[in-house]
Amino acid sequence: MNFAPLTLELLLAGLILIVFVVDLVSKNPKVLAGITFVGLTILFFLNLLHPWYGTTFQGTFVSNSFTGFLKGVFLLAGILVSLGSLSTAEEQYRGRVGEYYILLLFSLLGMLFVVSARDLVLFFVAFELMSIPLYILAAYQKDSEASIEAGLKLFIFGTFSSAILVMGLALLYGTTGSTRFDVLAQTLTEGEALSVLGFLLFLTGIGFKVAMVPFHMWVPDTYAGAPAPFVAFLSVAPKAAGFAILFIFFLQVFANLALPWKLVIAFLSGITMILGNLLAIPQTHLKRLLGYSGIAHIGYMLLGVAAGTDLAIAMVLFYFVAYVLANIGAFLFAETAIQNEGTDQLSALHGYAQRNPLLGLYMLIFLLSLGGIPFVVGFWAKLYVFLAALKAGYGLLVFLAAVLTVVALYYYLNVARQIYIEKPASNDPVRVPASIHFVLLISTLGTVLLGLYPKLIVGPALEIARAFVAGL
Amino acid sequence: MTVTPYIGLGFVLFSIGLFGVLTRRNTVGILMAIELMLNASNIVLVAFSRMHGNLGGQLFAFFTITVTVAEVAVGLAIVIQVFRLKKTIHADEITLLKG
Repeated sequence: MNFAPLTLELLLAGLILIVFVVDLVSKNPKVLAGITFVGLTILFFLNLLHPWYGTTFQGTFVSNSFTGFLKGVFLLAGILVSLGSLSTAEEQYRGRVGEYYILLLFSLLGMLFVVSARDLVLFFVAFELMSIPLYILAAYQKDSEASIEAGLKLFIFGTFSSAILVMGLALLYGTTGSTRFDVLAQTLTEGEALSVLGFLLFLTGIGFKVAMVPFHMWVPDTYAGAPAPFVAFLSVAPKAAGFAILFIFFLQVFANLALPWKLVIAFLSGITMILGNLLAIPQTHLKRLLGYSGIAHIGYMLLGVAAGTDLAIAMVLFYFVAYVLANIGAFLFAETAIQNEGTDQLSALHGYAQRNPLLGLYMLIFLLSLGGIPFVVGFWAKLYVFLAALKAGYGLLVFLAAVLTVVALYYYLNVARQIYIEKPASNDPVRVPASIHFVLLISTLGTVLLGLYPKLIVGPALEIARAFVAGL
Repeated sequence: MTVTPYIGLGFVLFSIGLFGVLTRRNTVGILMAIELMLNASNIVLVAFSRMHGNLGGQLFAFFTITVTVAEVAVGLAIVIQVFRLKKTIHADEITLLKG
């Protein structure tokens, strides 16, 4: 048995054991966060410098450049969030910090497996390994009604979608008699009733996970109630994993299935964009606003899935990187506001730029990136995805997306207005914990640097997407 | 032996579960309905396994059972904590966060 392609996952499992043992000896949050941060950073660079490509377990576990890139995105999110949660963990999770990081790492482990799985059983178990820790983490502020309610909502919608997903997978198994993706791809050709039903149930299950309209209703509530550093993780990493699953299933498993799935995805993309952007406008709380804006971003990325060309895949991969940096930064800004003001209401953010100019600047850059203003990375991400979709013949949808991007600018710049133009209620300086400050700095540097030189990611992403499409 | 009745049973149970999730107002009731949906998939998996004459489906069902147990453990813990804080498990009264 060849274990080499599994090396990254095994190392992460080892890191979980290390955190577990250290947690028995020392309950110091700084030590636990430090080990998680350093461990994940080492894994990130190992994955970058020495990826373990190959196939093992009779072809049910695949590690290639496509999964390598995604694993890099997940690890990046894990690195930023492990450090970004430190101040919250020190204040509120006393005595339970070890479990917090272990759960975070388990969820990451599930993500690493889910993009590599090429078998329905492994896929389902990895998918649940990714999801179950998230329910616990959402309810981690166990004395806060908002957090526990957020956890309950995430749990109910999460398990409900899992139940639908597993029925879908069962029907796919039923039509083909195999759980292997390559066999499924060969056998699933005609759109007979069972496989169509299986396809629809699968799409619904994943739709809940990536929060596409009409399966999005858990997002604003969960984002508003759950602890902000965790939401930073929830809003990027599982979404990226969900999109990877969509790519793998649509381009591999359902490749020969005679169904107009591109039209279905294009339609869902359209309503997701419209609803996300329009509902974000009246929001008065930052986390809730970012939740709806996140739904809108899912819509833009679905545009790339609908296009389904290698160019579009590359651009969605690039979009992940841009989105991870800006979104984690924005949620950690919200966390700073909550720590200082006790609320993430937009009116509490008045004059933040005067009270802490550097913090204001960071947030401005994240907002510009999310809104898609030229020369920060979000602009290129949107532009490239739109161009790829345009080439694939979705002119009308791209036009809609471009109009909605302008609408989005309204609510993003409204946040910037509260921070920069409105008069501050008090002149106390805003206290930013060193750990959050460091993460904000990395995210800002990444956002600006990739905005000036997007080729750094776009180049490799194009090669990876070409190899991915060619290797199917 | 034909497996069609078993698959039909699975679909019926799945639909009952789906209906329960959508109509139940008691959080534990919702949990039970979700459980019913997951077990319906198990019946379907095992029936298909018999139909195709391979063990893939039965293996899948075992994994589903295990994962479901983990899910329910987490879910009940959350429901208990909700009850401790709010003294209710009725979904209509858990409305601090309004979608």
